[in-house]
Amino acid sequence: MTEPSRAPLIGIVAALLASLFLTSCSGQGAGGAQASGPPDFNGVWSAPFTPDISKPLGHQPPFTPYAADLFKKEDEIDDPLTQCLPIGPARGIQAGIMPFQIVQTPAVTAILFENQRTFRIINTDGRSHPKDPDATWFGDSIGHWEGDALIVDTVGLNDRTWLDTAGHQHSDQLHLVERFQKIDKDNIKWTVTFEDPKFYTEPWSVTLPIKRQTTEIMSYSCEENEKDRAHLRRTNTKK
Amino acid sequence: MRSTFFPVLALASALLWGPPAVAHHGFSVEFDDSKPVTLHGVVTKMEFMNPHIYFYLDVKDAGGKVVNWAFEGSPPNILSRQGWRKDSVKPGDVLTAKGFRARDGAHLVACSTVTFEDGRQLTVGGGNVKGYDKN
Repeated sequence: MTEPSRAPLIGIVAALLASLFLTSCSGQGAGGAQASGPPDFNGVWSAPFTPDISKPLGHQPPFTPYAADLFKKEDEIDDPLTQCLPIGPARGIQAGIMPFQIVQTPAVTAILFENQRTFRIINTDGRSHPKDPDATWFGDSIGHWEGDALIVDTVGLNDRTWLDTAGHQHSDQLHLVERFQKIDKDNIKWTVTFEDPKFYTEPWSVTLPIKRQTTEIMSYSCEENEKDRAHLRRTNTKK
Repeated sequence: MRSTFFPVLALASALLWGPPAVAHHGFSVEFDDSKPVTLHGVVTKMEFMNPHIYFYLDVKDAGGKVVNWAFEGSPPNILSRQGWRKDSVKPGDVLTAKGFRARDGAHLVACSTVTFEDGRQLTVGGGNVKGYDKN
């Protein structure tokens, strides 16, 4: 055998090793994390409809006296959703029967809600929150990756959304921290922490499962043929 | 095409999505769960629109007078996932509708189910008191 005749064999072995190495690098971990990048959250998802977000806690959240009084007095007729206003960032996740789609790029992860076709933009390009942001319905969200999880920090929210159907409310000081933990290709563990010194004496968290759906996002427009308002009556069923 | 697939699809949907929450408002601010109603008549109009579908039924009262009732159900996105189509209920259909009356006394019903003359039944969503909730 001459030296030149070994060259093709060496080349093939080297190519195979390189191929194995690349396959290993592009393989996914248990939570769908890619060794070469963050986990893939693209797809249509839904969490169980949780009309009372305190239920997973097993008790009411740590109300301030102001918030406790407001919670007793509130009436479902005042729910912003009853008025066809936006659902807000965290309530949109647990809207249950109306799923959402995640569209993920390196710099931005967008959550597209079927509910009123609203959306969230989560910037993952390393930026900080703007200083003194104007309060808006979905606030300002920035995110970063921790292993198989996307951590989302949201501020700049107005005080007009509710956290749930039951009427847990918040002020414009609400600070949301969410952890979207990829469990496997079809499951995400979502933990949201509500921090709002005006409404809650300490931060509190709930965790819900998010599951991949086989459906697509469909149309929903609250104002299209709204006929309920004329028939609504105050009930305050909480008392 | 309506078929016996509807109950199957409705059941599958219930398993996938849980109770049929249907509305953007709570049940009790508009309807009274102490006032169940069952009405039989002819469909005069169908609005397969958001945030609720509505169909209207000409119903004869005890004196023979015809009254047009409105029936409210889940929005089209929810019903579509249960197997509904925009013509699942259409003008001319003769059916029996169950649900709960509006608090204000209007001829308006949160509809739970409709049953056609051939026995086919559709879940409409609005009359499941425990499941009826805004979203």
